Amino acid sequence: MGVRDGVRARNESAWLLPDDGARTNHRLRRDMRRFADSDEIDLVIVGCGAGGSVLAQRLARAGWKVAALDAGPFWDPDTDWVSDEAGSHHLYWTDPRVVAGTDPVPMGSNNSGRGVGGSMVHYAGYTPRFHPSDFMTATLDGVGADWPVSYPELRPYYQALEEELPVAGERWPWGDPHGYPHRPHPVGGNGEVFLRGATRLGITAKVGPVAIANGRFGNRPHCIYRGFCLQGCKVNAKASPLITHVPDALAHGAEVRANAMVTRIAVDERTGRAAGVHYIARGRERFQRARMVAVAGYSIETPRLLLNSASARFPDGLCNDFDQVGRYLMVQGAPQTAGRFDAEVRMYKAPPPEVSTEQFYETDPARDAKRGFSIQTVSPLPITWAEHIAAQGHWGAALREYMSDYVHWSCLGALCEFLPLAENRVTLADEKDHYSLPVARFSYSQCGNDRALARAAQSVMEDLLCAAGAEEVITIQRYAHLVGGARMAAAEQDGVVDRDGRSFAVPNLYIADGSVLPTQGSANPALTIMAVAARTADRLAARASGGTT
Amino acid sequence: MSAGRKGARDRVGRFPGFDVLSQARHWDQATADVVMARTRPPAPPRFFAGPEAACARALLNLLTGQDGQDGELAVPVLEMVDSRLEAGETDGWRYDDMPQDGQAWRDTLAYLDTDARQRCGTAFADAPELDQLALIQAVQDLKSADWHGLPAAHVWSLWTRYACTAFYAHPFAWAEIGFPGPAYPRGYKNAGVGRLEPFEVRDARPAEDPVKDGA
Repeated sequence: MGVRDGVRARNESAWLLPDDGARTNHRLRRDMRRFADSDEIDLVIVGCGAGGSVLAQRLARAGWKVAALDAGPFWDPDTDWVSDEAGSHHLYWTDPRVVAGTDPVPMGSNNSGRGVGGSMVHYAGYTPRFHPSDFMTATLDGVGADWPVSYPELRPYYQALEEELPVAGERWPWGDPHGYPHRPHPVGGNGEVFLRGATRLGITAKVGPVAIANGRFGNRPHCIYRGFCLQGCKVNAKASPLITHVPDALAHGAEVRANAMVTRIAVDERTGRAAGVHYIARGRERFQRARMVAVAGYSIETPRLLLNSASARFPDGLCNDFDQVGRYLMVQGAPQTAGRFDAEVRMYKAPPPEVSTEQFYETDPARDAKRGFSIQTVSPLPITWAEHIAAQGHWGAALREYMSDYVHWSCLGALCEFLPLAENRVTLADEKDHYSLPVARFSYSQCGNDRALARAAQSVMEDLLCAAGAEEVITIQRYAHLVGGARMAAAEQDGVVDRDGRSFAVPNLYIADGSVLPTQGSANPALTIMAVAARTADRLAARASGGTT
Repeated sequence: MSAGRKGARDRVGRFPGFDVLSQARHWDQATADVVMARTRPPAPPRFFAGPEAACARALLNLLTGQDGQDGELAVPVLEMVDSRLEAGETDGWRYDDMPQDGQAWRDTLAYLDTDARQRCGTAFADAPELDQLALIQAVQDLKSADWHGLPAAHVWSLWTRYACTAFYAHPFAWAEIGFPGPAYPRGYKNAGVGRLEPFEVRDARPAEDPVKDGA
């Protein structure tokens, strides 16, 4: 049996999509199983993104009665998404949030998705694995934390998901060396510049790894290289859970309940067990009963929901006995350096994710910092590019003149492993949202190691672009991604959940999203979030069959 | 850094004959609806009213280099920003030392008027353009220092984010920078350095690097 047949046997999503040019299987959604609030279902999941969708799909296949509630819409790429930057504003979580600290982190389009599919609807599509060292940075480098899970325990989940998305790329020489199920894509102008600079400097760079099928996959068509990956893939070529896991979940009896904002997790004061979730749908307050609850709202909304679920037993927030909820929230330092060429690069013509190097990923004794960074093509579209130009201080006529030069620029981005710090955290602000719930306040400050890594990454990107022939380079300081905020740990004093994603405080409450990650490496987190959720699903299914839940 | 004055002439006609809208028949309907709506006469402002709208219009046009010369008021930036604020369509975050976006806009426009009255005895919208440019520049030059009780850098971030997002959403701006806009369902077939699609137009002055020229 070939890889594709093997994938189809365990996840039929790509074959459940229509093959007639439409992107959504409307019949599958119309015929979806619908549970009553009064049904005590096996599992209610809060959030239907990278973590929640995988958990739903796996446990629906295991025969569980599962409903995944999502605050946002159940997207139809044909009618809801557009090939346009400003018109994609509704893909982002834009409910109010307050950012603070010495180095505050912008939210919204940068890192926060909305609706079924979550942030993977608008992520670029890079799906690298973490390196084995990411799971033991405290032991190896004396910084960060050791995971209670090792890389070898996650490896089979990485492999399975790389086939399900599927991932295209060259054979990967870094971390735990591995291949990918799909061949690398051809590169556009920006990838060409990166590869040329790397060759001249003797830096190893590789095409991939991107979760964009190279060739048809099931009923998903080939990529058309239109460059709007960050605006939601109207082609169904780029993977997101909306097309990689939700269809199979529905076909196996899961319910995806869109436009349902969970406001509070209910815990029975007598038994100490979660009893279900309060949520608001169409303006009405409702309550879904469930035997188990899994939170998958990502690094801001998951801690916020726990903090908003305070009770007599948990006066400082659910699962917050040791003041761990919301802490160790991480973002990657993501400086972007652009180079100017007389030739036309036209970086918008290809998926922004094309080429990466992980040569600088590990701690280098020659650098004045622990851990490292990766470098990738990024290819911003005009509005994001204007942000780069404005960051150089230009406005008015000068802004317009620089912008008219757009086709000549190539742009690289770094992902620097900024360290998990206890004081970088989510708390509740005084401000309330339109559900009358306190909004999240995210305070973030860098440490010296972080700044040193960002400087080192910028310097390598400048060298790469100059080696490729750039006459000028400019850099903007940015952040990318979110992980942590409810981390897993070996002991309850050090985290919120155990190695299986089960909360220390409430035995039938799980967390299955990026917030459980104790470190972030220099890798885009989507694949690892999915892999950890898939492992949690396996552990849940095993406990159920062993009768230990 | 500054707004400079030389740019307006240089950027005109870098992509001769390039017309984004001529390709609209190749766009999917959902995208075409969203983009073509921006090219129609905008509804009058509703969030900003009267003198506040005049102040916002002057500020946003100057931030986006629309100085009214060369018949160049092509993009209705004020109306685009206004409709976002009226709909409460924020970026999904605010700095903890800034009010919510709508209020921050109202407050900072009032401060700009205060500064203009002090400098020229008129409202910002009625001040001579050179004074307007100087007043805006003064806010940028403060960097993270205090401006009327707010960190100037966060005010600058608010102004430029809304202004750039509106301006570079418009097909007029795409044509000026050689960007073809929507690309579904057609996609691209000729990616790579120096390669063009049949409907793209080569830059007529490729060596005019604004960085090298030190604009």
